[in-house]
Amino acid sequence: MSEKPARELWGDLAALKKIGMVQQKQKEYFALRLRAVGGDLTSAQLRKIVEVADKYGRGELHLSTRQGIEIHNVHHTDIENARKELETAGVYMGACGPRVRIIVACPGNSTCRWGIIDTKTPAKELDSKYFREDTPHKFKLAVTGCPHNCAKATENDIGVMGAILPAWRGDACTDCGLCVSICPTNAIEKRPLPDGKSRYVLLEDKCINCSICTSSCPADSWVVEKRGYNLFIGGTMGKIPRLGTILKKLLDKPELDTLIERSLRYYQKNGRKKERFGHMLDRLGAAQVKQEILDGV
Amino acid sequence: MEFDIKKKLDLRNVSCPMNFVKTKVALDSLQKDELLEVILDEGDAMLNVPRSVKEEGHQVVKVENMGTAFMVVIKKG
Repeated sequence: MSEKPARELWGDLAALKKIGMVQQKQKEYFALRLRAVGGDLTSAQLRKIVEVADKYGRGELHLSTRQGIEIHNVHHTDIENARKELETAGVYMGACGPRVRIIVACPGNSTCRWGIIDTKTPAKELDSKYFREDTPHKFKLAVTGCPHNCAKATENDIGVMGAILPAWRGDACTDCGLCVSICPTNAIEKRPLPDGKSRYVLLEDKCINCSICTSSCPADSWVVEKRGYNLFIGGTMGKIPRLGTILKKLLDKPELDTLIERSLRYYQKNGRKKERFGHMLDRLGAAQVKQEILDGV
Repeated sequence: MEFDIKKKLDLRNVSCPMNFVKTKVALDSLQKDELLEVILDEGDAMLNVPRSVKEEGHQVVKVENMGTAFMVVIKKG
């Protein structure tokens, strides 16, 4: 391939896009989109990327919106050599076109004080299960550690979010009122009791499962009753933005895996070409599709 | 409940992490179980300072909503 002139690559352009080699408007040149799951790279990998950009490109790197790195301005005669050299450092190509794209993730509980879940393991699992699978249109997955939503789970076709369900244990409560003051959605209500004390009540329909109350409560009176994953489907930005629809809250890991699998298969079966998952939901009726995915129809 | 406040700090318009640093310094000057009153802005300050205070072993004993800020009483641990 590397010996062929650019005009002979036309027939292979779709195949090249599939492995993250994207022809630039300067037709002899390609952008090499690299795969970094959750944006994680080692310093050795980064050094190799720099080396390849100097050797085969023009020393120009671009940080993509999906935590990846692109090497721009690589001549078509060099793309294969560049790829082989990157692979020696364990750096592999990304993806472009109508398929599952690089998985995005925040650092999760590995370093973040708010992280509820380990994001890196599920991101790697999703990558090894689904990366580059063909879909009707592009398909993006993100894993975010908590409802602060730094990895923007609700802007992806599939968004996984770490979540907790808080519960109030009255015996330890000192009635300081901090929880009511800091809950971001006013999901905690203080109700007076006849003996002059107070009862604190969680309004579950308002709660976004964020752990601010359980982390901050001075008396540890708000406790984590359940820890799990909130799953959003059908989020997208682009030309017609649409935030993800909650499929189900506080899932355990096997349930999460099952519902992601069903969602992707449903889209592969029912989505139209150039139709994002969320727009398919709107066309068919989100409530109906949700039910079918939950029921495993 | 009446509180015997030993020290007061108005930390409105003091951003993170300086609001916590000032809270910590004020707590250092108190004896165990003595009370410090701080006024914190809504938003990040309220999200971070009470949690950091807890992590340092002190205890928030009262919070009052003042509109765009909160009055927080902290017992030295």
